[in-house]
Amino acid sequence: METVTLTIDGQSLTVEKGKTVLQAAIEAGITLPYYCYHPGIGVDGSCRVCVVKVEKMPKLQTSCSTTCTEGMVVSTRDKDVVEARAAVFEFLLLNHPLDCPVCDKGGECPLQDFSYSFGPAESRMDFPRRVFDGEGVKADVDFGPTLMLNRNRCILCTRCIRFMREVEGDAQISVADRGNGSEIATFEDEGVHSLMSGNLMDVCPVGAITTRDYRFKSRPWDNPSVADTICTFCSKGCSTSEWIKAKPEWARGSSLVRVTPSYNPDVNGYWMCDIGRFGYHWVEGDRRLRQPMLRTTAGTLEPAGWSDVLHALRAKVAPLAAAEASSVKVLASAHASVEEFFVLKKLAEGALGGVNAVSVLWSRSEKKQPKATTFVVPVTDAPNVNGARDLGFAVGAGNGGAADVSALRAAVEAGKVKALLVVDPAPAELTGDFQWVIDARAKGMLPLLVVQAVEMCPLVAQADIVLAGAAWLEKDALFTNDQGRVQAASQVLSAPGDARPDWQILIDVAAAFGVSLGYLSDADIRKAIAAAMPGTPYASVADVAFSRPVAAKHWLQASNPSERWKWDFMFQDLPPVKGHSVQTEQGFVEGRVIPLKPVG
Amino acid sequence: MAYEPVLTKFVKEPNCYTLDFYKAKDLGYEALRKAVTTMQPNDVIEMVKASGLRGRGGAGFPTGLKWQFVLKDTPKPKYICCNADESEPGTFKDHLLMERNPHLLIEGCAIGCYAIGAKVAYIYIRGEFYHVQKVLEQQIEEAYRAGFLGKNIFGSGFDCDVFVHRGAGAYEAGEETALIESLEGKRAQPRIKPPFPAVSGLYNCPSAVNNVETLANVPLIISKGVEWFTSLGPEKNNGPKLYCVSGHVKNPGVFEATMDVSLKELILGDQYAGGMKDGRTLKAVIPGGSSTPVLLPDQIDIPASFDAVAKAGSMLGSAAIMAVDDTTCMVWLAKNLLAFYRHESCGKCTPCREGADWLLKLLTRIEAGEGQMKDIDLLLDVSKNIGGKTLCPFGDAEIAPVLSTIKHFRHEYEAHVREGCCTIPAPWRGTRAPALAGHH
Repeated sequence: METVTLTIDGQSLTVEKGKTVLQAAIEAGITLPYYCYHPGIGVDGSCRVCVVKVEKMPKLQTSCSTTCTEGMVVSTRDKDVVEARAAVFEFLLLNHPLDCPVCDKGGECPLQDFSYSFGPAESRMDFPRRVFDGEGVKADVDFGPTLMLNRNRCILCTRCIRFMREVEGDAQISVADRGNGSEIATFEDEGVHSLMSGNLMDVCPVGAITTRDYRFKSRPWDNPSVADTICTFCSKGCSTSEWIKAKPEWARGSSLVRVTPSYNPDVNGYWMCDIGRFGYHWVEGDRRLRQPMLRTTAGTLEPAGWSDVLHALRAKVAPLAAAEASSVKVLASAHASVEEFFVLKKLAEGALGGVNAVSVLWSRSEKKQPKATTFVVPVTDAPNVNGARDLGFAVGAGNGGAADVSALRAAVEAGKVKALLVVDPAPAELTGDFQWVIDARAKGMLPLLVVQAVEMCPLVAQADIVLAGAAWLEKDALFTNDQGRVQAASQVLSAPGDARPDWQILIDVAAAFGVSLGYLSDADIRKAIAAAMPGTPYASVADVAFSRPVAAKHWLQASNPSERWKWDFMFQDLPPVKGHSVQTEQGFVEGRVIPLKPVG
Repeated sequence: MAYEPVLTKFVKEPNCYTLDFYKAKDLGYEALRKAVTTMQPNDVIEMVKASGLRGRGGAGFPTGLKWQFVLKDTPKPKYICCNADESEPGTFKDHLLMERNPHLLIEGCAIGCYAIGAKVAYIYIRGEFYHVQKVLEQQIEEAYRAGFLGKNIFGSGFDCDVFVHRGAGAYEAGEETALIESLEGKRAQPRIKPPFPAVSGLYNCPSAVNNVETLANVPLIISKGVEWFTSLGPEKNNGPKLYCVSGHVKNPGVFEATMDVSLKELILGDQYAGGMKDGRTLKAVIPGGSSTPVLLPDQIDIPASFDAVAKAGSMLGSAAIMAVDDTTCMVWLAKNLLAFYRHESCGKCTPCREGADWLLKLLTRIEAGEGQMKDIDLLLDVSKNIGGKTLCPFGDAEIAPVLSTIKHFRHEYEAHVREGCCTIPAPWRGTRAPALAGHH
């Protein structure tokens, strides 16, 4: 790596050649404000708040656009710099409404915080403010199906415009009018229609762009905890932060209010798609299964205890397998974790005649994205196709292709399957087509149906035995993404009611079939996986550390991944940031990816 | 010594803009022939460098040097972008050149292309110059037909195309990188420099952006020689120069002279603007377009050259000399100009976008007699916070009228505050400045 050495505020720094002064300063923990710059969308040089003094240069320079050179001497605290910077903050606030108390960004707003740090104490502006669309709440206008726009708050950093142009690949946003009348606009006010729209809230340094999902729902200081995990809605496995809002004291507990991407240079960069961002509501939704159920002699499904359902399994299903192993089959969703597949494998090998008893199912959908996008959302709507493959299950055409359950379907429709165990820890619509199972039941071709699921759905309604499982946020689990990267999803919430983590259910199910595994925890399963798969990325999964929700004490731990990046560098003396990565010899298994290096 | 005009000699003759006329009486593309058949591209650059030709658009940067900086070792195409956006208030010289002597410019474009290794020149013409565009396009067509443009010019193997692109009417498009953005079909907003256009300009290819008058001088240098050029005007300020004199003068217009002519002569001399109208007295002079600082009558007995005007504390700029008489309120003048700048600020960078509006609001309040003394200091402070801190020179342009009128006429500002009204309400002023019509 070629390096250059420069001095910033008297501190000698050696940085990679080609880095800008702003990047060097941030890495060195020197606080410099910026708005138009964002590490994921490049340099614009227009907001002018990152100005610094460079020796031998007559004018102040914007640090975001100044490349470090050997021997350069930079000051961020020179009198000229301090005054010029304060002046820009005064300019930025001339027309900013200062409605922070009702603004969603209030409390995690870079304009707010940097103005306090670097701006003048008071404004000398005594004219009425510029107003678009109306004062107050009237200024909130539709900005497409997922967003709202408040032009009064906008400081024209153009991050949103450049995000759409450079990342999303379809430049739907532009500036209309010019000069002081400039405003963020879309063609004929039709708003932003994009699978990536939620990122616009992240890049917006003020409360101009808010998501309909989160606006007015919480305040940063009401979200005491944030947990870092991954998204499991497709095979990409983006790193995410789950924001947990405290319930009122009388209600106790907490609820999930927001999902934002967290920086992971190897997988998702700074971004995530709207499917993952806005698709979390089912986790705490009304359709969740809160306890196991059994079909009564009257034909209705009634809540039951775990011992009842396990007894039913032992009494009704296990004997079928004992009599003829091939008469009992498993249909597993690729939303099941590596641990769950591993237990299933043990079950299949121990009682069902081998792994071929398990068919793996997932759904596949083409996402509508511009050709020029740099963030492709995969077609595979499941997180763990590669995990199933690596454990030796047949996975049809694999990631990017379609699942193949035709053999199982033919056997079910021919009446050869006496009992079917469906394992699907995701809403059924995420997993795909179960209609043929329902139809076979209706025709009486499938005598026994056991469903391990998380939500009430038509399939669950047909089951004889229902096992209430946990969503990915409710258990520590591994998922192998489409790059073959084994990633850890951490438990953020507890499973509702009597529902249990799926690995635990499957151990009990295996025991009911007479397969005693002796795992007492999910960690035990990972130890077994590591022992069973030496020489693979899985060999070190026993060492994975899962992150836990931690208190977000500062806005820099906020939604905006670029600010998170700064947190990692600027406040090293404060308690560690949520989560930590676990580098193993294979370098593949990651607890939670917290960037230890900023983007180059 | 009577100076014989070369740029505008024939502009008053009928049909002077036609190719036939240009061939019969003017250069007739002989300079282009000489360049492409007898000179190497580098020889052309060396000759322009030797002449000391300085850009006529405003900054006065040596043209030969600009061309030399254009990156040579690259597989990318190179471009000449002719800046015909002429939007600096008070400037109308390029308008005249393009309308009455278009072939001189076209020939200059072709020679420029040859010099830097480009095959295409774009003439970026101001949105409002609709009729000029028609003339230019017709005459370019004529030049193609005569073989002065197109493939294999004069059998030399040199190809050159010239296109006219009409802007949409933005002052900012006159800034070279904003012009390039606009040519590419984007909003006319400046780019961050570096990289400079010579390295990465139009379509991220090496480009040279030259003013109309600059390019029009090139064929004259090739044809008449470096010695002829350097014999005109004072050292480092050589060659023919067009001056646009306007304001309260008897005979406003474009005058061609060498840069040893004085500002005073240009305003008061009978062969130029002929002195002040209606027997009034000169109060102030804006020497180089509205973005240059005001000079007082006792400061104008200086050569109207780049260096002399700079020494006097202003800029020759685009040589748009505006003479202001004693009926003019300088607060009103600053307000009027700021209304223009506020309207034309592109809005990209913070100090200019927010500052121009604030300055205008303050000036409007003071001019209406509703200001306070502290507003005058606030004007200075806001100007200081804009100056030198913007992405492009627009910020410096918009504060020049404010700073220089306060510097020389602070008593008028104070009078407005004290009296509570405008103290010099000239009868010729409308109740509302036209430039404010678009102000909201």
